[in-house]
Amino acid sequence: MSSLTSQSLKVIPIAARKAERTQQPNRWYPDGQASRVCAMTSNSDHGLGLGLGLGLELELDLDAPHRGLTRSATLPLEIHSPRVGRSHLAPEDAFNTASPPRRKSTFDPSAVNDSRRMRSKLGSRSRSRRRRRNWKKLLWVNQSYPDNYTDQATFLENLQRNPRLQPYEFWPLVADSTVILQQTCSVTIFVVCFVGIFQERVSPVAVVGWGSFGTLVGWLLWDWWVGQEDEDEVLQRRHSNRSRAAREQPRKDRPHSAILGTNPSAGTSVTNLAAAERAYPQLAMRQSHSVSATSLQSGASQASTAARNSSDSAEELHQRPSSPHRGGRMNLRLGTIKSAVLIYFTLLGLSPILKSLTRSTSSDSIWAMSFWLLAINIFFYDYSGGVGVKFPASLSTNAALMASTVLASRLPSTGQVFSLTLFSIEVFGLFPVFRRYARHQSWKYHVTISTLLVIGAGGGVGLILGGEKDGVWPWKSGLLGVLVAVVIAIVAMGGCSWWLIGLQKYKNAINGPWDQARPIIISRRFWDDE
Amino acid sequence: MDSKPAQQLPSPPAKMPRRTYNIAMVSDFFFPQPGGVESHIYQLATKLVDRGHKVIIITHAYEDRKGIRWLTNGIKVFHVPFAVIYRSATFPTVFSFFPLFRNIILRERIEIVHGHASLSSLCQEAILHARTMGLRTVFTDHSLVGFADAASILTNKLLKFTLSDVDHVICVSHTCKENTVLRAALDPLMVSVIPNALVSANFKPLPRPEPGSLPFTQHPLPAHPLGPSDTLTIVVVSRLFYNKGTDLLTAAIPRILENHPNTRFVIAGSGPKAIDLEQMIEQNVLQDKVEMLGSIRHEKVRDVMVRGHIYLHPSLTEAFGTVIVEAASCGLYVVCTAVGGIPEVLPSHMTVFAKPEENDLVAATGRAIGALRANKVRTEKFHEQVKTMYSWTNVAKRTERVYRGIFGDISDDEFYGYDVGNEAHWSATRGRNFALIDRLKRYYGCGVWAGKLFCLCVVIDYLIFVLCEWIWPRKQIDFARDWPRKPPASDDDE
Repeated sequence: MSSLTSQSLKVIPIAARKAERTQQPNRWYPDGQASRVCAMTSNSDHGLGLGLGLGLELELDLDAPHRGLTRSATLPLEIHSPRVGRSHLAPEDAFNTASPPRRKSTFDPSAVNDSRRMRSKLGSRSRSRRRRRNWKKLLWVNQSYPDNYTDQATFLENLQRNPRLQPYEFWPLVADSTVILQQTCSVTIFVVCFVGIFQERVSPVAVVGWGSFGTLVGWLLWDWWVGQEDEDEVLQRRHSNRSRAAREQPRKDRPHSAILGTNPSAGTSVTNLAAAERAYPQLAMRQSHSVSATSLQSGASQASTAARNSSDSAEELHQRPSSPHRGGRMNLRLGTIKSAVLIYFTLLGLSPILKSLTRSTSSDSIWAMSFWLLAINIFFYDYSGGVGVKFPASLSTNAALMASTVLASRLPSTGQVFSLTLFSIEVFGLFPVFRRYARHQSWKYHVTISTLLVIGAGGGVGLILGGEKDGVWPWKSGLLGVLVAVVIAIVAMGGCSWWLIGLQKYKNAINGPWDQARPIIISRRFWDDE
Repeated sequence: MDSKPAQQLPSPPAKMPRRTYNIAMVSDFFFPQPGGVESHIYQLATKLVDRGHKVIIITHAYEDRKGIRWLTNGIKVFHVPFAVIYRSATFPTVFSFFPLFRNIILRERIEIVHGHASLSSLCQEAILHARTMGLRTVFTDHSLVGFADAASILTNKLLKFTLSDVDHVICVSHTCKENTVLRAALDPLMVSVIPNALVSANFKPLPRPEPGSLPFTQHPLPAHPLGPSDTLTIVVVSRLFYNKGTDLLTAAIPRILENHPNTRFVIAGSGPKAIDLEQMIEQNVLQDKVEMLGSIRHEKVRDVMVRGHIYLHPSLTEAFGTVIVEAASCGLYVVCTAVGGIPEVLPSHMTVFAKPEENDLVAATGRAIGALRANKVRTEKFHEQVKTMYSWTNVAKRTERVYRGIFGDISDDEFYGYDVGNEAHWSATRGRNFALIDRLKRYYGCGVWAGKLFCLCVVIDYLIFVLCEWIWPRKQIDFARDWPRKPPASDDDE
C-alpha cells in the first residue's frame, strides 16, 4: 500500500505512456504502470462531466483530498497483516452468528504468496512459449492469448482527449456575453414598465407610444440595412457564381446542395460564436444552408412576383425580405404594414378577454408564474442565433408573451391591458430581431444598444424603487440605479468570463471509436435532426 | 467459506473431473421479447448446460409470462414481478429485489451471478446483492455508450457503482472493452473479450444449383457466376433509426442505383426513419428498384438475406454487429461502415469498409459490386468460414474459463497472466474479497459525493441481508431439485 501511494500516480500524456510501454513489451502490467492505468481510468470518471463543460483536468492533483481513493489505492491492508482481517465484516457473518465476526482469516498470505510465486515461474515460461504470434485486435481470429489479454501497444490507442477544444479568450468572451446582458436588460425594462403602469405612475399610452415609435425607427433602420445587404449579396453572388459554376456542374439534379450565399455572420464578427461555428461545421453548414435556401426562394420570388407574401402576414414581421428588386421590397413593406395593422386590431379586440382571462387567479400565483416565465425567457433565449434564423427560440418568446398575458390580468382597464400586451410583443418579438441585425451590421451599434439598455434598465429600477413624492420623479435614485447597473454589468460580464476561462481547464472530453459517428451527407435535405 | 481455501490451492491436475457451477443469468431482457441480448443469454445458457453446468435465468415478468418456466435443455427461468418502466427495463428500486433474489439464490444453490446489459437495472441490483451475499459475479456488456450527453453520464455513473465490486466483466468486442474500462474505471485485466456468436445452421446460403439440374431459372439465384447483365440485389436488414445510419442509406441509395443500373435494393426493418426512405423512393421514382418489406421476424432474416448478393450495413455505432456475421454466413458480401467494433468482426475478404460518409459509402458499394461482377469474391465459401469463426460452444467454453478464473479453479497467474511481483497490488485490483470494509473502500473511490452515497447503499444492503437472514433463516429454505445434469465436457472437445 505505502509503496504504491509513494509512487507518483500521475496521468501522463498518451504518447509518453505508449513510449514507456514499448520499452517493456513483454510485461503486461509492471507495477507502476498498472497503477497509472488505474489512476487514468478513475480519472475518466471525473471526466464524465465533460459534456457540461466541467470535468477534471488531465493531471491528477496529488494533493487533492480524494486523491487516494482510486481503485489501486483501495487495496485491502490485511494482506500484510493477517490480524487486521479478523475484525472485518463479511457476508457469512450474517448467518454465522456463533463466532463474532470471523473465526479465522480467510487467507494465509504466506502460503498463498509461496504457491503463487512458484507458479509464476512456471507460468511465465509456458506463456513465453505460447505467445509467439502477435496479438491482433480482431475477433474472428482464434488467438493464442487469453480473453482478458490487454495489449499494451494498441489498448486505447484511439482515445482522444479534448479533440475540439477551443480555448476562450477574455475580450471576445466579454463581447459575446453582451448578448445575454441585452436580453436581461430588455426583460428588466419590461418589468419596470409593467410596475409603472400597475402603480399608475406612467401612462400606458406613453409607454406603448414610445415603444411603437422605437419599433418604427427600428423597422426603418432594419429595412435600410436589409436593402444594403441584398445589394451586397447580389454583387457577391455574381462574383462567386463564376467560381462555383465548375463545382456544381456534376450535381445539377440536386438544387439544395448548391450553397449560393456565403454565411454572412462568419465573416464579419471575429468572436467565439463564430469560432464555434467553425468548430462545428454542421451547424455552420446548416446555417448557410438556410441562407442559401432563402436566397433560392428569393430567386423564385423574382420569377413569380411575390404573390405569396400577402398570404402569411403575421410571420412576415420576422422574415427578412428576400428580393432585391424595388418592387418586391415595396410589396414586402406593404405586407409588413398590413400585418402590423392586423396585429394591432386583433389585440385591441382581444384585450377585454385577456384582461379577464386569469383574473380569478390570486396575485401571488401571478407574480410567481410571471417570474418563472420570464426566467424561462432568459434561459431559453437563442443567444447564438444568426440573422437568418426564422423563428428563434419559440419557447422563450412564448414564455415571455404568456408572462405578459398573465400580468395583464392584474391591470384594471382594457387600455392598459392592450398597451402592455402590445409593448410585450414589441419587446420580446421584434426587438430581438432588430438587436440581432444591429450586432450583425456593426459592432458599434451593438455596443450602443447594450449601453442604452443597461442605462435604461438601471435607471428604471432606480426610479421604481425610489418611490414617488408629490409628483416629482426621484431623479437621484434613478441616477444611482444607473450607476449600480453599470457597475453590476461590468463586474458580472468580466467576472463570469474570467470564471468560465478558469473552468475551462477542467474540461476533459473523451472521444474514441465507441462514439456515435457523425454521418457526412451531402444532400442535406434528409438530415433534419441530430 | 469452504470454497475459499480451495481457491488458494494450486489448480487441480487435469485428470480430476472438472468442477461445474450453478449459474444465475440475470437480465431485464429475455424472451419472449426479441433481441440480441435475449438470444445471447439463451444460447449461452444452453451451451453452458451442455457443458454440465446448472443455469437459471432471472428476468422480470411479462404480460403473459409469470412465475417459473422451463426452457429446452432444462433451463429454469424465473419471471419475477417487477414493474417495467422504459423499453422493458424495470424500475430501479435498489433494495426491493433483495429478499426474492436471496430466496432464489439459496433455493437453487447458486454460486455465480452473471448479469447482462448495462441498461438493465435488475442486473445491476442483482450484482450488488450477490456480492453482499458473498457470491462471485460476472457482468457482460453489450453496448457502447459515449461520454458526452447527460443520459450517458448518469448511466456511466450507475455502471461504475455496479462494477466497482464485480469479479469479472465480459465485453463483446475490443472496442467495447476499451469503452467499458473507461466508463467504469476498471482494471483492463478484469475485462475479457468474448464475442457474440450465431447459430450458423440457421444462416445457411441457398443451395447452389447443379449446373445440369436447372434448364432455366425463373429468377437469378444469388449464386455465382454473375453475368454482367444479371440483376444484383443489395439487402439491408436494420431497424430504421438514426443511429443505424438510415440517413446515410437514404442519401446513398439513389446514387448507387444511378451508378449501377442493374441493381435492386431489398430493405427489411421498420422505424421512425422509414418515412424518409419512402419519400426518397417516391421523389426519385425508384418503386421498381427498391423493395421495402417492413419489419420481419428474426427467423425470416435468413430468407430475406439469401435473396441478395451484398449486405449493406450503414450503422453509426455498433458494439459487435451480429447481423453482419449473419449476412456473411448467408454468403453475402458485406459493405459496412467502420464504426465501433465492426472492423474487428469479419476478415477483410468478406467485407468492404466505408467511412460513415455518403460519398465513401457509395464508392465502397461500387467497389463491392465491381468485385462481385468480376467474380473475384468467393462468397460460396463464406458460410463454412464463418462457421469456424463463431460458435456458441466456443463462447460457452471461454465463458467457463472466466468462471473458473474467478473461482480460483485456474490459477491467477494463468487467468490474469500476471507476473506476480507485488502482492499488494494484485490484491487491490483483482483479489475481490468479500469483507465489507474492502467493498466499501472500492465503492468509496467512485467520486466525492457518489462514493459516500454508494457506501451508504452498500451498508443498507448488508443490513437488509442480515435482516433477511434473521427473518427467513437459510436453514428453513428448501433446496430445489435440479434438472438432471449432463456430464461435464472436457476441455478438448470443440
